[in-house]
Amino acid sequence: MNDIIDVFFVLILATAALIITVRTLSSLFNIYSFQSLFIAVVAVVLFFQTGNIVLLLIAILTILSKALLVPYVMRRIQKNMNLKRDVEFRYLTPIGSLLVGTLMIFLVYRSFSTLLSELSYDDLFFFGAVIGLSITLMGMMVIFTRKKVITKIIGYLMMENGILLFSLFIAELPFIIEVLIVIDLVILITLATILAYGIDSTIDDFHSKLNSFTLWFKD
Amino acid sequence: MHFILYAFINTLFVILVSPLFVSLIKKVKAFTQGRQGPPIFQTYFMLNKLLSKERVYSVNSSLIMKMTPYINITCMLVASLFVPLLYVPEPVAGIGNVILFLYLMVCAKFFMALAGLDAGSTFGGMGSSREMTVSAVVEPVVIIVFAALGLLMNTSNLHEIFSSSIKSSLVFNPAAILISLSLFIILIVETSRIPVDNPETHLELTMIHEAMILEYSGSDLALMELSHSIKQTLLMAVLINVLMPFGLALEPGITSILLSSVLFILKAVILSVIIGIFEASFAKYRLFRLPSLFMLAFFFSFSTILFELLR
Amino acid sequence: MLLAYLLTGIVVLILMLIRFPESEKRANYLNSLSIVHTSAYLAITITALITISLPSYFANRYFFMDSFALYETLIACSVFFLSSFYSRGYVRRLMQSGEIEVRELRVFYAAYNLLLTVVVFSFYCNNLALFWILLELTTVLSAILIVTLNAKENIVAALKYLFTASTAMLFSVIGLILLFAMTKNNTGDGNLNWDILQQQGNALPPTLFTFAFIFIFIGFAAKAGIVPFHTWLPQAHAKAPSVISVLLSSVLLNVGIYGILRLYAIAHLNPSWHTISIILIVFGCLTVAVAAFSMLPRGNLKKLIAFSSIEHMGFILLGIGIGTPLILFWVLFHTLAHALVKTLLFFSAGILHEQYHSNMFEDMRDIIKLQPLASWGLLLGCLAITGLPLFPVFISKLNILMQIAAYSLPLLCVILLLFLLVAGAFTTILIRTFMQKADHEYESYPAAMSMKVPLAVLIIGIFVMGVFFPTGLQNLLNNIVFSLGF
Repeated sequence: MNDIIDVFFVLILATAALIITVRTLSSLFNIYSFQSLFIAVVAVVLFFQTGNIVLLLIAILTILSKALLVPYVMRRIQKNMNLKRDVEFRYLTPIGSLLVGTLMIFLVYRSFSTLLSELSYDDLFFFGAVIGLSITLMGMMVIFTRKKVITKIIGYLMMENGILLFSLFIAELPFIIEVLIVIDLVILITLATILAYGIDSTIDDFHSKLNSFTLWFKD
Repeated sequence: MHFILYAFINTLFVILVSPLFVSLIKKVKAFTQGRQGPPIFQTYFMLNKLLSKERVYSVNSSLIMKMTPYINITCMLVASLFVPLLYVPEPVAGIGNVILFLYLMVCAKFFMALAGLDAGSTFGGMGSSREMTVSAVVEPVVIIVFAALGLLMNTSNLHEIFSSSIKSSLVFNPAAILISLSLFIILIVETSRIPVDNPETHLELTMIHEAMILEYSGSDLALMELSHSIKQTLLMAVLINVLMPFGLALEPGITSILLSSVLFILKAVILSVIIGIFEASFAKYRLFRLPSLFMLAFFFSFSTILFELLR
Repeated sequence: MLLAYLLTGIVVLILMLIRFPESEKRANYLNSLSIVHTSAYLAITITALITISLPSYFANRYFFMDSFALYETLIACSVFFLSSFYSRGYVRRLMQSGEIEVRELRVFYAAYNLLLTVVVFSFYCNNLALFWILLELTTVLSAILIVTLNAKENIVAALKYLFTASTAMLFSVIGLILLFAMTKNNTGDGNLNWDILQQQGNALPPTLFTFAFIFIFIGFAAKAGIVPFHTWLPQAHAKAPSVISVLLSSVLLNVGIYGILRLYAIAHLNPSWHTISIILIVFGCLTVAVAAFSMLPRGNLKKLIAFSSIEHMGFILLGIGIGTPLILFWVLFHTLAHALVKTLLFFSAGILHEQYHSNMFEDMRDIIKLQPLASWGLLLGCLAITGLPLFPVFISKLNILMQIAAYSLPLLCVILLLFLLVAGAFTTILIRTFMQKADHEYESYPAAMSMKVPLAVLIIGIFVMGVFFPTGLQNLLNNIVFSLGF
């Protein structure tokens, strides 16, 4: 059982690495659905292991909303806005992003191995915690290094996936479901706004300020 | 005594079997494009034809051009000793060291690049420079991948890696899956397949590997093609024997050798089909995007190292 | 008692569904409903303050009322009450100028009232996880409120707000889970209630607790406008309609500070308290510095006020970081003072916006002649926010600064210099603006009585607060500081 979960951890990490580097938007959405699917599978395997019904609910909710609904909405947006690829990178190209991602995984591993020793945990929890936090940090990196809003939203969703993975192993929190619902609500409202108002693909006015260090000197 | 037997059997098997996979990949790609494709034994026919043709050398070429095919095939055949395809012998001093294995292949690549420059044509020089650029970025990644493999198996000897992978089935080990992904990417890169380089093109803008052997003809060309296919078979064998080593024997015996050869051909056929489909799904990457692919391999092997530490 | 809140909210929402064909009548009707709603909440809060023995628990210990929660709710309800009066005239004017559509009115008022309910319930929350969920809901609702004006910059500002706040709150979830794991390790049954966490505060492992604190702090700091998570604040506060800016500045920032203060009360019992104090002090100073430097070149009135909010939040964080009981007393008073003065400022800014159709200072000419009440509001508000005597901010700032001096003298010098910058910014801008002569005739915009009355009430109110300090308030604040464990 543990081996299967480990294999899926590996696959989830692989999808995270791909999201950082991929440039076509449709493959980005596909990879994201696969990532959510893998996390749902991990939840189901944990359910078989511990028998906690909450896990099954989380898995179903994840598959419905994140593997099916959100990519569908995003594809509609993409068709409306006529975007195909997101080739603009800011601060970090794919190579740099992968290097920073590797560094982040290493840092998370080091800090967790010293910090979590005070808690009694089993290996699976440690593994899940490290990968969960790494995926969250990599999602944040996606938000900061890409210019288009659609990709930023995928970065945010990846952060949410990471947190879901992180929290799966402390499964007595029924509030995770409510957290997920609220986050999905936020995302769907954002997407609906973008779809309805047709926001330009880059939020450019404040980024240009940040770049030219005139953060405080323009109005 | 045993080792000489092993060397003989291994080398013979490698030479016999390598051209099969090359044409198999071509056939798979042809099927995906809706064509019939060349027959499976086409490479054998081509090698046969080439051996009977005469060699033509450019007047500007030197000794390097004449020597390189022999150096190549020698390096490849020695490297084939490092990768047991049918059965794993007792490790003999130094044979099987991963670093030496990699360096033999790099040596062959180096002489090929020199030979590309040697003929004095612009295509050759261009191909050599591209090949060396790609190689400069990919060699560290290859070292890291094989280092991760060595860390996974606790040894740096390929023979010991294979024998330990026979003893413990690795398919569900997550680190093994990651390292297989990295090894697959290395395979694509080192054998100059799409998306790194198109092995069937002769267009100036897209050749890397083909440009270097453009000037060869006759039995020289046959030797170069053969060494290229042996390199591919060796890298495929590393990938296969790390992930699914069943059938690899530990003792030489007639039945076990026959069984392992059949099984190896079967597994390599499956892998060739996978490579063919993978090649057919991508277009060739532009040169500046290649480092992203290598970084993926680096990322996976680094994660392998991390997972090994986590256990 | 909580049921009273909930029932009022539901009744009001249902009543909002009744359709009125004519736009004026509908606006008035919806607004009257809001006024009834906010006044009912205010009444319930005051009743609870007087009658209930604190702390009292509700709904399976998921909600509770204690003095801190009641105090904050009182501030929130008062602000909402005053601004629901103000929105009567403001929304009418917006409808006249076409910046708001009639069919959006219902969404606006529904979101407005829901926001009040959610904020009140988040103050009364005992469970940290539920607090997080309600906080995210406030983000969503206030973003909807910002988008009511159909301009593109509004949508961009709202999206940025939503994004930044939600991303930071995701980090909070990690911290919450770590906290849960720590308590589970200690007692075998993980729990995230404030009171239970306070009991277990000294048993939690220090380094891991610092780690978890920083993560949770990131989320709450983004909601409270602390640097470096403040990037959404100037744009959101400036582009939103002034009624909404009031809510954002005076109430929602308070929710973030509420969370940080409760967390700090838990950290106080932990051996890692010293490290956490230093972290909070550093962030507080950084916030004040960034805000002070950003205020100098401002040309937009509402952005100036927004940066002043950031500066005050930084100052409050600094006070929380130092953490003596006396400074906490004054920090709590400072939240009340800041809320009132900020409300006054934004109300005046709203009237001036309606007059000049722009927020920029260089467009505001002949202020005193055209809008006497609003210009006095602006002047007194700016003087009050920088801490002139006779105003409440003066008292709290003075005492907090004295406590900072007792803690560390160099810190005091730095903070005083930054405040000098702030005062300088306000002074130059005010002098320049008030001396501008009109180059052509402006038509004076007759502000509705519903907009002027809250303004006048607030002016009188801050004078009263600045001079008298009721013993009831003093007892309440003492109670709060004591109940937090200081």
